[in-house]
Amino acid sequence: MTRRPTCTASTAALLSLAESIAEDWQRVGATGHLLARNIDTGAELGFDVDVPVPLASVVKVPLALVVLDRIAAGMLDGAMPVTVDPATKSIGPTGVGAFRHPVTLAVGDLIHQAVTVSDNASADALFDLLGVSEVDERLRDWGCPGIRVRHRVQRMYDSVAGVAGMDSDLALELALRDDAAGQHSIETLDSAHGNVGTATALVELLRRIWLDEISRPSATAELRRLMALQVFTHRFASDLRTDTVRVSGKTGTFLHLRHEIGVVSADSGDRVAIAALTRSHRRAAIAHDIDLAIGAAARAAFEALRE
Amino acid sequence: MHAGVDLLAHLEAYVAVVEEGSFSAAADTLHIAQPVLSRRIKTLERHFGGALFDRSRRQITTTELGNLLRPYAKDVLGRVDHLRQVARSARADAECVLGVPPDCEPASLARLIRAGTERGVTIAVREMDTAERAVGLADGSLTVTLLRVPPEVAAHAVPLGLAGNQAERQAIHLENLRPPRGSREPAPPILITAEDTIGFAAERFAKAAARAGLADERIRDATSTSTAVAETLAGHALLLCPERFARHHGLSWSPLADAALHRGYEFATASGRALDWLEPLLAAAVGAVGRTSEHSPAGNASDPHALLVARG
Repeated sequence: MTRRPTCTASTAALLSLAESIAEDWQRVGATGHLLARNIDTGAELGFDVDVPVPLASVVKVPLALVVLDRIAAGMLDGAMPVTVDPATKSIGPTGVGAFRHPVTLAVGDLIHQAVTVSDNASADALFDLLGVSEVDERLRDWGCPGIRVRHRVQRMYDSVAGVAGMDSDLALELALRDDAAGQHSIETLDSAHGNVGTATALVELLRRIWLDEISRPSATAELRRLMALQVFTHRFASDLRTDTVRVSGKTGTFLHLRHEIGVVSADSGDRVAIAALTRSHRRAAIAHDIDLAIGAAARAAFEALRE
Repeated sequence: MHAGVDLLAHLEAYVAVVEEGSFSAAADTLHIAQPVLSRRIKTLERHFGGALFDRSRRQITTTELGNLLRPYAKDVLGRVDHLRQVARSARADAECVLGVPPDCEPASLARLIRAGTERGVTIAVREMDTAERAVGLADGSLTVTLLRVPPEVAAHAVPLGLAGNQAERQAIHLENLRPPRGSREPAPPILITAEDTIGFAAERFAKAAARAGLADERIRDATSTSTAVAETLAGHALLLCPERFARHHGLSWSPLADAALHRGYEFATASGRALDWLEPLLAAAVGAVGRTSEHSPAGNASDPHALLVARG
């Protein structure tokens, strides 16, 4: 468990920062993967950056990009209404996932819900519109080999309920034990079967989105706009936001997984893309100190990498 | 032949020869020399005034007198054996090995030993932790002990709390022990002594601490009670212990609000021993307050779906 992480950095000073962030995470009971890169200078720091990790809701970023690409290409109408039935929808604590009555939203607003409040039902409505394999293939066409999309969001819930029933304590314990044993009884946590991404692949995706080097400019611009509207501020944004510094991000939380990817941008023009993917070995569904440690890492990395 | 004890040894010799069918085999069974055995049979024949065995043939046989006396001889020997067994077990009942949790109040233990003396029972007190007591009762080295059981089903509950050198509170909630946001101060570890580090109680505490948002690293097994007390006195740690232990060491103490985390004990005796009079005395020695808790440890009260789905 206390294996030393493999650190990567552009300079010796950045290397020691990467090491101290890894130690901070370990102190609060989390291990993980971090990569932070200045989009403009390429300066970077991180550790264990090439390990595929189950993405949880972070998958909604590549999903949104593929849908927006279709709209930008004129193959899909962003205004097209989609009705979500509460009897068959994917469940979740926010957005349409939490609704109890049928709703009809435009495709563009489903993307908004999926990205800004991590709405599972909206995300799966989009998956159903395109097909899961279609999203995966599009990413492969774009040259994103470190990201694999293999299932809808609801599959995460189903795979847990399949082995643990409604017992969330048991589900958490299984996830922790499986991590320690290196084999997975919860299918979506298995990097061979789940939606996965590496820190490197996610930061590269963010960089291309911010520099309009992927899809079409109108698609990437809309995704940047939506990521800036994310309502969750407990991780990257927890110690970064000011009137002059913005965080555009997408979190991912599932059992013991606590992730966020995003771009921190300042009025000064500095832009740093960060992917923080963590797994904890604590039996807690809520661990504020791990969220804050991720926030502290984001702030330290941004300050070290900005010009 | 005058003494009854002699008669027993001689009857034993007689029955052995009848059952083995030869003097030599009977001597082996009784672990005595054959001449000694022969002498005893002769003495017995003199005592009863007639031969018990017909020695004229190659194979030894019992005489009519011998046949007549045999069942009575066996009966006498059987009764004597029973008499000895009763005496032996009466002797064992007068001894009682008592396994107690560490840090019982010495004065209460003294009262308990005195109460034993009044009943003709010698009590030996052994101080051992939870796991050792369970093993001791199972392997017969302990006669009586208190076994650790969940407090909600226990006859005797001992409230646990945290000792330290801080101000005392009415109750401690584990989530309040989280360091405040942004704090750079290292949070003090919570030390657990041997009585609480084993089995379901340790598991229950670890889980409660995890759910309250405390990092695993803060829960530590104390290597020794004295260093644990020293660290706690120095203000570097909190110590999980009953109130009396804290008072004894001059530490401030506040109870854990969750009674499911307190100690629960059940009185247990080796099979066949009626020692009920010990139970209240033992309960007093560990500082039990009777049954305090009726509720099981808290589970997730919130919607079960909520924690299983992908969130944010």
